[in-house]
Amino acid sequence: MKFTIYQESRIGRRRNNQDRIAHCYSRDALLTVLADGMGGHLHGEIAAQIAVQYLTEAFQREAKPRLDDPFRFLASGLENAHYAIVGYTDERNLPDAPRTTCVVCVIQDNIAYWAHAGDSRLYLLRGDRVVTRTRDHSRVQMMVDDGVLTEHEALRHPARNRVFSCLGGDVAPQIDFSRRTPLKAGDVILLCTDGFWAPLGNEALARGYATGDVTAATPAMMDCAEASAGESGDNLSVVAVHWQEGYDEDAASGVATETMPLDAHTTQMQGFSKGGGAEPDLTEDDIERAIAEIQNAINKYSK
Amino acid sequence: MPAQQTNQPLPAGFQLDRYRIARQLSLGGFSIVYLAYDEDDQPVAIKEYLPNSLALRGAGQIAPAIAEEHLPAFRHGMKCFFEEGRALAHLNHPNVVRVLNFFRANDTVYMVMQYERGRTLQEHIGKHKGAIREAFVRNVFTRLLNGLREVHAQRLLHLDIKPSNIYLRTDGNPVLLDFGAARQALGNDGPMLKPMYTPGYAAPEQYKAPDQMGPWTDMYSIGASMYACLAGAAPQAADRRLENQALQPAQERWPDKYSMQLLETIDWCMTLDYLERPMSVFELQKALAERHHVAHQPSWLDNLSRHFRQLIRK
Repeated sequence: MKFTIYQESRIGRRRNNQDRIAHCYSRDALLTVLADGMGGHLHGEIAAQIAVQYLTEAFQREAKPRLDDPFRFLASGLENAHYAIVGYTDERNLPDAPRTTCVVCVIQDNIAYWAHAGDSRLYLLRGDRVVTRTRDHSRVQMMVDDGVLTEHEALRHPARNRVFSCLGGDVAPQIDFSRRTPLKAGDVILLCTDGFWAPLGNEALARGYATGDVTAATPAMMDCAEASAGESGDNLSVVAVHWQEGYDEDAASGVATETMPLDAHTTQMQGFSKGGGAEPDLTEDDIERAIAEIQNAINKYSK
Repeated sequence: MPAQQTNQPLPAGFQLDRYRIARQLSLGGFSIVYLAYDEDDQPVAIKEYLPNSLALRGAGQIAPAIAEEHLPAFRHGMKCFFEEGRALAHLNHPNVVRVLNFFRANDTVYMVMQYERGRTLQEHIGKHKGAIREAFVRNVFTRLLNGLREVHAQRLLHLDIKPSNIYLRTDGNPVLLDFGAARQALGNDGPMLKPMYTPGYAAPEQYKAPDQMGPWTDMYSIGASMYACLAGAAPQAADRRLENQALQPAQERWPDKYSMQLLETIDWCMTLDYLERPMSVFELQKALAERHHVAHQPSWLDNLSRHFRQLIRK
């Protein structure tokens, strides 16, 4: 396999980062995974961490160096991650179940397989267009599909962050699977949280990755997303893969896995940030800042 | 359940920052609203963050007492109060109450709002029981929805729309008041602050499934408020309706008095299943504006009832 991969997660304007990302590859298979812990629920980041950790560990166990059945891997991986979160909830007796979205993709033999729950997305980009993307498990997406809203209106809809499928919680997740999707050299596979796609929109996103240079494009696009999200900016995270099989022999930053031993894995995953967990209290400074901010807004908008 | 403690209001004449307190206007679960006067003797409404369950101000006290173990929840609630202030500060709409100032005092925070003259829709309904005309309902709610649309555009849900929170200015323009229950649509809900809702106007999901709240939740309350205009009283509460639906649909109750289209719109808003309600303010506004097409074409029911009346006359 030959590819370039770039992943980054930023806190945005929030107090903590509840997004988790990871990728992991053997000689013959690549796993990318991304989870967005749910802000409205306690310990969203724990749910995200469990999901990401569970899937990478399962991959390391089973991709030796190939996965027998990538779809079965995705199905059992996501389902077990869900139960791992539920188990954690029960064990700790948490009053409110931690939950997370999750999108996960396996590439093996130049074929991509993916699955998701919630509104974190996978995009398959080719040139400057979106070949396909996941459909969010959100009511807003349903409204778009029903023709009640346009894609553009959906980006601003007040309920756009509400999802009806996620890992964790007492309802089993609805998981959607892709088809077996053959990749072409130059394709970009992009996993991202709503903090990234929502402020940008599909077209801007596709244009931004038109060069295929994921290492340069991702931080630049994240800057754009943060700028356009402004004060209310959510956590934003991206795992971007530039698929180069058979082409671009001398892409300097790329990864070539042919020389890896059969049982080796390379994994990159963030851990918990320091003091992660419960939200910190409002400090005196926070209060002063909030008041100053509101007064500024009053002065600005009262004209 | 322990008895709910009640907070004492600040005394009349109290100098709060640059405002002089005149009297208490209302007392809610999270706050007290006062009428006060600024240094130019202009009246303002001041809302004091004071959640009943977390902070107590006894008689003669100024700063509330907050137990150590309640401090995190008190601060969390304060964050929600900031959210409300922040959202309202970004809104400058004739149909939404205007925020003028925001400050800190007495170990808590205060939001100064424009004081409106006029009366609440609640008072109006009481005065004109059963005699409210269709044009009034359409007019008030179409304009009110202009304001609500702005609120939703700020990703804020009101969550306590009811006739007593709809103010009719003396010029007849409605203003949406009291965002005390308002919540950022995607906000972080504190576990210790109980949600509040008003029976009759709150949507079923506010009782049972707060994670399903959305713009459609405010739609239910709008529908219930319109229903109250016609009925002269609050409709059956949504939690009761879930157990034993006894609410007579507007379409069955007033077919001769109001247009079918208005009645259908009200029933649409009050559907128990939130998926069946209007999804956005815009959709509802469209329905309220549709009257012109309908007015000239009597529905089959109109025809039928006319037929009936003729039969009786014969």
